[in-house]
Amino acid sequence: MSEVESYYVALFDSTSAALLAEKFLKKEGILFKIIPVPHHISSDCGVCIRFFSVEKEKVKNTLRDKVDVQEIRPL
Amino acid sequence: MPLRILHNDKRIDEMKEEVDARGLACPQPVIMAKRTIEERGNCVVIVDDEAARENVCRMAESLGCDVRVEEKNGAAYIHISRDNVDKVWEEKEPSAGPTVVVFPYDKMGRGDDELGMLLMRAFLHTLGEVSPRSDVMIFFNAGVKLVTEESEVLDDLHSLEKQGMGILVCGTCLDYFGLKDNLKVGVVSNMYDIAETMLSAGRVIRI
Repeated sequence: MSEVESYYVALFDSTSAALLAEKFLKKEGILFKIIPVPHHISSDCGVCIRFFSVEKEKVKNTLRDKVDVQEIRPL
Repeated sequence: MPLRILHNDKRIDEMKEEVDARGLACPQPVIMAKRTIEERGNCVVIVDDEAARENVCRMAESLGCDVRVEEKNGAAYIHISRDNVDKVWEEKEPSAGPTVVVFPYDKMGRGDDELGMLLMRAFLHTLGEVSPRSDVMIFFNAGVKLVTEESEVLDDLHSLEKQGMGILVCGTCLDYFGLKDNLKVGVVSNMYDIAETMLSAGRVIRI
């Protein structure tokens, strides 16, 4: 993974929601990484899911109606 | 060396860097305050949240700074002075030597394995981004599962290794778990290396 790629992050209200989202994304074969919520975003001190910008729609569709996503935003 | 500065010296306060962290959520005020202390030295951090105030004070005190809080206009003005820090630091400084992080387990903490794995992933991601850097990592017992095929943190460990991190992996443990052929990052090591590395370390951090 190159650092020049642009990323999005999915933020969740709870750690368990992030873990649940992880399962669905894994099943879809989407490349992602669990990271601490970046300092400049942080609404709490939790973890979030980072993925490549090109995967945005796929992530949205995968999680729709399955996981409570607080926000999906550029990193 | 600057002279010891008294807390009630107004002229000095005016020279201090101001960090306005009002309205910012955890851990932003702490991060901003820490960065300013490290880069600029003395500063005034303004917060309007009780938790932020406590966390900033605790962080500054842990760095050995003198801390004074002033209530003003519904906010807390935290005056942080590191004039006495160098002295304190010298007293606290451990013997010189590398910082060694040891991983005796493949999760971070005990209690819930799923949470422990999540924390471990977040921790290893963060290790590559924060300073100070550690110098050596040692993986033993179930910790070796972090450096072998099925591990979910190989990308982070590879990039840490590229940045110069030494990664020692317990050969006995790889053998015990049947993972000898699955090592993906780091070098196979033995108890002599592991013991020597720990004993010559400036500090050892156990995860």
